[in-house]
Amino acid sequence: MNMDHVLAHHLLDHKIADLFSLHGIAFALSKHLLTMWIVGIGLLAILSYAVHGKGEFAKILRHAVEVIVLYLRDEVVEPLLGHDAHKYLHYFLSLFFFILGCNYFGLIPLGDILRALHIPFTDVGGTATGNIGVTAGLALCTLGLIVVGSVRALGPVGFIKNFMPVPADLHWSMKIVLMPLMGVIELIGLVVKIFALTVRLFANMIAGHIVILGFFSLIFIIGSASQHLGIFAAGPFALGMVTFVNFLEILVGLLQAFIFTLLTAVFVGSMLHAH
Amino acid sequence: MDKLLSPDIGLMIWTIFSFLILVFLLRAFAWGPLLASIDARDNALREERERAEKAREESEKIQRDLEARLAVAAEEAKGIVGQASKDAEALRSRLKADAEDEARGMIDKTRVQLEDEKNKLIGELRREVADLSLTAAERLIKKSVDPSVKKTVMDDFFSELEKQKAA
Repeated sequence: MNMDHVLAHHLLDHKIADLFSLHGIAFALSKHLLTMWIVGIGLLAILSYAVHGKGEFAKILRHAVEVIVLYLRDEVVEPLLGHDAHKYLHYFLSLFFFILGCNYFGLIPLGDILRALHIPFTDVGGTATGNIGVTAGLALCTLGLIVVGSVRALGPVGFIKNFMPVPADLHWSMKIVLMPLMGVIELIGLVVKIFALTVRLFANMIAGHIVILGFFSLIFIIGSASQHLGIFAAGPFALGMVTFVNFLEILVGLLQAFIFTLLTAVFVGSMLHAH
Repeated sequence: MDKLLSPDIGLMIWTIFSFLILVFLLRAFAWGPLLASIDARDNALREERERAEKAREESEKIQRDLEARLAVAAEEAKGIVGQASKDAEALRSRLKADAEDEARGMIDKTRVQLEDEKNKLIGELRREVADLSLTAAERLIKKSVDPSVKKTVMDDFFSELEKQKAA
């Protein structure tokens, strides 16, 4: 067994079907895309049930969702976005729950369950947020929100002025020199922010999986030297560590969803309000 | 492993579209109604609190008002009691003075009456004594005195007595 293949199988996206292609970009249906859709539909179903449902369980679910919603509203979005908070609150709530859903859905070994049930289709599951394409897409949505939000709040001219901040008491000639420079710096800053968002979520989600795969590989590495040692020493050790890392992943999944949401709110908030 | 770090542009665009559609769907079916009901509840709570606050202020105002009125009433009552006791004192001293005057008048009148009575009694006694004396003298001289003479003698005697007394 090749470690590279194992990693590729468990961590990478798999193409399920070619849908269409535009300007050389292939829009394929893939495992992670399917997973995202399932998560999206699941969220829609669960949250709609929580909001509109009548039963006792719906009430409990609604209270649980409300606690998170109120926390995000009162502690994250409103302090950072101020009076614009209510305009974008639903975006942040969706972002948090979507990332959380993807993170936690990735903890379920859905492909293995389907395989165990002898269902022929197993190309589903996995952590969509452990795919850099997905996290980049979400980070670009944040970028879009930053641009759209600040253009809406400050107007196109205000947005550009906010993008090239120079001290007001400076001589006009200095301003002319400084403004393009500041523009470039701000642009780099924005790109770095988006890149950091992309990599932070991706790396955090993939790291746990790699660690888990590493511990499992330990069984086979030691087992290739001595089968008994592999089964009776490395096996229980790896199992214990993997269980521990899985619990850690529950924490990390929540934490990263919150951090992505928080940082998006920080970036949007800092662009909405002029320097 | 290069694939792990190179983003799939197609998936990236799929992600953006899928996520934005999810945002709009969640806004319509979950967040919109949920946030509206949270806001409605918050508003109801705030209104309830404001009403309670207003009621508390109202009751405090009423209490302050009552206390002020109570203080005024107490002040008034104190004034009334003071006035009444002053009046009573005045009345008492007036009554006492009146009573004293009346008593004094009665004493004076009684004294005058007693004096008169005494004088009258003295006069009568004298007359009686004179009569007795004359009767005794008459017997002594065994001769009846003419009543007119007797009267003249007695009158003279009394006038002399009056004169002596006046002197």
